Amino acid sequence: MPLGVTIPENEVRRYMGYRGPVETSPETDAMVKKAVSSLEKDCSPKYVAREFPVSVSSSSVRIADVTIESRALARNLTGCTCCVLFAATAGPSCDMLVKRAAVTSSAYASCCQAAGAAAIEAYCDMINENIKNEYGAKGLFARPRFSPGYGDLSIEHQKDWFRLLDVTKNTGIELTDSLLMVPTKSVTAVIGFSPNKLPCIKQGCELCTMSATCAFSRKE
Amino acid sequence: MSLRERLGKEWLFCDGGTGTILQEKGLKGGELPETWNLTRRDDIKDVARSYFEAGCNIVNTNTFGANSFKYDNVAEVVTAAVKICQEARHEAGRDGDAYVAIDIGPTGKLLAPMGDLAFNDAVRVFSEMIKAGAEAGGDLVLIETMSDSYEAKAAVIAAHETCDLPVIVTTVYDESGKLLTGGSIEGTVAMLEGLKVDAIGVNCGFGPDKMIPIVKRLAACCSLPIVVNPNAGLPRTEGGRTVFDVGPEEFSSIMKEIAGLGVHVMGGCCGTTPAHMAALIKEVSPLPFAEPVKKHGTYVTSFSECVEIGPKPVIIGERINPTGKKRFKQALRDNDVDYILTEGLKQEESGAHILDVNVGLPEIDEPAMMENIVFKLQSVTSLPLQLDTTDIEALERGMRIYNGKPMINSVNGKREVIEAVMPLVAKYGGVLVGLPLDEDGIPETSDGRIAVAKKIYEAADEYGISRDDIVIDGLAMTVSSDSTSAIVTLDTVRRIRDEFNGHSILGVSNISFGLPARELITAHFLTMAMQNGLSCAIINPCNDHMMASYRSYCALMNKDPQCLNFINAYSEYKSDGTFGGATAGASGAASSASTGSSKLSLSEAIERGVTGRAAEAMEEGIAQGGEPLEMINAELIPALDKVGKGFEKGTVFLPQLLMSADAAKAAFEVVKKAMAGKPRQVKGKVILATVKGDIHDIGKNIVKVMLENYGYDVIDLGKDVAPETIVDAAIKDDVKVVGLSALMTTTVVSMEETIKLLRMKKPDTKVVVGGAVMTQEYADQIGADAYSKDAMQTVRYCDEVFGVQS
Repeated sequence: MPLGVTIPENEVRRYMGYRGPVETSPETDAMVKKAVSSLEKDCSPKYVAREFPVSVSSSSVRIADVTIESRALARNLTGCTCCVLFAATAGPSCDMLVKRAAVTSSAYASCCQAAGAAAIEAYCDMINENIKNEYGAKGLFARPRFSPGYGDLSIEHQKDWFRLLDVTKNTGIELTDSLLMVPTKSVTAVIGFSPNKLPCIKQGCELCTMSATCAFSRKE
Repeated sequence: MSLRERLGKEWLFCDGGTGTILQEKGLKGGELPETWNLTRRDDIKDVARSYFEAGCNIVNTNTFGANSFKYDNVAEVVTAAVKICQEARHEAGRDGDAYVAIDIGPTGKLLAPMGDLAFNDAVRVFSEMIKAGAEAGGDLVLIETMSDSYEAKAAVIAAHETCDLPVIVTTVYDESGKLLTGGSIEGTVAMLEGLKVDAIGVNCGFGPDKMIPIVKRLAACCSLPIVVNPNAGLPRTEGGRTVFDVGPEEFSSIMKEIAGLGVHVMGGCCGTTPAHMAALIKEVSPLPFAEPVKKHGTYVTSFSECVEIGPKPVIIGERINPTGKKRFKQALRDNDVDYILTEGLKQEESGAHILDVNVGLPEIDEPAMMENIVFKLQSVTSLPLQLDTTDIEALERGMRIYNGKPMINSVNGKREVIEAVMPLVAKYGGVLVGLPLDEDGIPETSDGRIAVAKKIYEAADEYGISRDDIVIDGLAMTVSSDSTSAIVTLDTVRRIRDEFNGHSILGVSNISFGLPARELITAHFLTMAMQNGLSCAIINPCNDHMMASYRSYCALMNKDPQCLNFINAYSEYKSDGTFGGATAGASGAASSASTGSSKLSLSEAIERGVTGRAAEAMEEGIAQGGEPLEMINAELIPALDKVGKGFEKGTVFLPQLLMSADAAKAAFEVVKKAMAGKPRQVKGKVILATVKGDIHDIGKNIVKVMLENYGYDVIDLGKDVAPETIVDAAIKDDVKVVGLSALMTTTVVSMEETIKLLRMKKPDTKVVVGGAVMTQEYADQIGADAYSKDAMQTVRYCDEVFGVQS
């Protein structure tokens, strides 16, 4: 099944570890193109999304029957009346592509890995945009999406996403005991909706607790 | 009457949804529904009784997810569920004609290699549920809502090993007719029929209207009774609640249409109610009933591919086989799995449809090797496999964990072999190669071979194996030692087709032993054999002559529409006999993309990361009398070092480093081949592992490639590795350095545990850690000896520990 969105090649290069304005070799470019085209062709993307009521205090958030202690998420969702939780995956074929590449070429394997990361982000962006438009038509404004494990939102809350959305049955994503998702190219997130438009709030790498050491940070 | 006697003889009806009804009775989101078997017995009984009263013949116990991942008291929960269902049946007055189905849903975990649940552990989890259900008196096992055929296989094996009850399996397809894991309808049916289930079907996913095209495909390939249990339409959220829109009347009128497509058991799934079932039964039971019809397809499958034997010749790659191959034997002895996988991937890219897997060598543990190679191959290729062994234990272990319906090579006419092999095929399913030889040896005439073939077919009947699943070998023998042998073989192949309407196979290359220009005679023989009706050719698909014969035959015999495959393969063919783009070579990087690389020296090729040229330069060097080790030290390592230093300075990026590493690896491979069987010089042994609970291994694999290039012997324990396994391996080989990788904070805990255990049991071993969340501070905190931010640092650290000058 095709992915349905274009995987941006510059993002693939960023995930591969390229920094700044670097000339990549023709071999690398060919490798990136090959990985991107196999992924766009062979992905089996799936997602599930559902709306829940939300209430927010200064340091915690209540979504459905769950209380989440997270200042960063509380800030993100301030003023929201409802939210959409979603879970999305690029599917198992992506992991297999990486494994397969690793047998013969670690360079191509890292390239497929990067392409997979860019693929699931692009897929999530598409879902995000669709949901945003759907609610926009109802006069609600979307906040930037926020994921468990990001900032001070504990990764433990993956369990709540999986329960509330019946993620495994709907998308085939499994949550392991150590709270990793399989297929690995999977994302869970929440998007808050508010009747009031807020000025753009800080998001992305600036907010992340790992940004100082992360090799993929967009800081440059 | 027993359910088995009635299945496929009359209309039978399953129940509808349970979860949706329990939610209406107050089941909270996230609450485990099976707990109600103990706490709200009457509510569960009400649901079951209402289905019996609606006229359903098969009603599920409330045990869908009652597995040991969610419950400590599986037996108690399942036993209660069966008892409740039996009471409901009695109260509804249906003891005589209705059945209690032990309901088995997916575990919620993904099976390895995709996920972290080992196949045999899945079997154990299902066995526990089914055993309790059977002992409590369940009448059948209904395995449902499976979106991975591998998990369905585990559940079926569990059922068959635990009880003799009938087994029904229904799976969930998407609108294109695929399982979540990519399997097709035809492939899933082939696998389940091979496993000898009693009925096959489809459930959940969507409403009855969208199931129509799927049911049509199911009915076209399935010889067993067919079950159809759709949802009441697609689920929709309304104020936080899940609702379904298709009411009983609409549901039953579409089901009436489906009833005419050749199905035998009907019911519902999510959102359907006793009212839906009552309406369905009223509409469908007066309709004429048609018994299932035997179909005659022969399919070999993997988790996603389905190769049909018959319509055109099938290419089976012969290269995963140590016979006569020094380098391959060395790989088996060294447990060099990547070498074996590479042989598989090369054949896939050259056009193989199925891969033969023979890993027999007297001095290795063949059963363990077979199981491991089947598992690893299925992690990287979707081609179906042919398990090729005479070791019955190796065969069984391979067949058991195989994901799909494999080909089995082979059985023959000897009673002893039939009695060892056929029960396995009857249990696990498979397409079986039969060699027409027996206690009296190999018959010299086609008459003799046909007589033994007949014996093999009859034995298959005896074991309940379909004749469609037998492929007879024509036995290609060396023509140089007997000039009539090719004629006898071709005759045999033709007669298998004409006299048994059967399928045939040949190990084609055997024909040319002892002759010069073997590929000429072998390729011509292949053409002749195909012309005589050959169904499967075991060949080397990397040989251009063989594939030219195959592609030409298909183009000429109207088995290649518009000659498209032929044209694609030979659009760059040169009449001087070079085959152009016909074979793509090894998978992976765009190593051949670089033009003008033919003059690069070994060190230049490695610096620039040109894999093909690096290997070639090493070959040339050795051919010119160069000493491999000298070339490694003088050219390969310095080139690799130069790139490595650039990487450390930030002038070279990871992809370039890896391309150089790949090029160096290719050059090393040439050296390994030249020195196969001779002892190697290594700097030292290093263990690498991704810690328990973590399944990310790309970083660890990169470190492995770099360490190997720098002359280390790497013991790669893989991913999700328990602390004890790592410590045991370190003790066993007295390993000085252990490298641990973890991606997430949640798995750094296992890293710490591993280090603690190592300190206790093997205190002189150094630990170097790395991974996305790792920092120097974190490494210090968990007591590691060193932190490496990348593969180069790990190499430097090992050089330091082993006292190597760099």
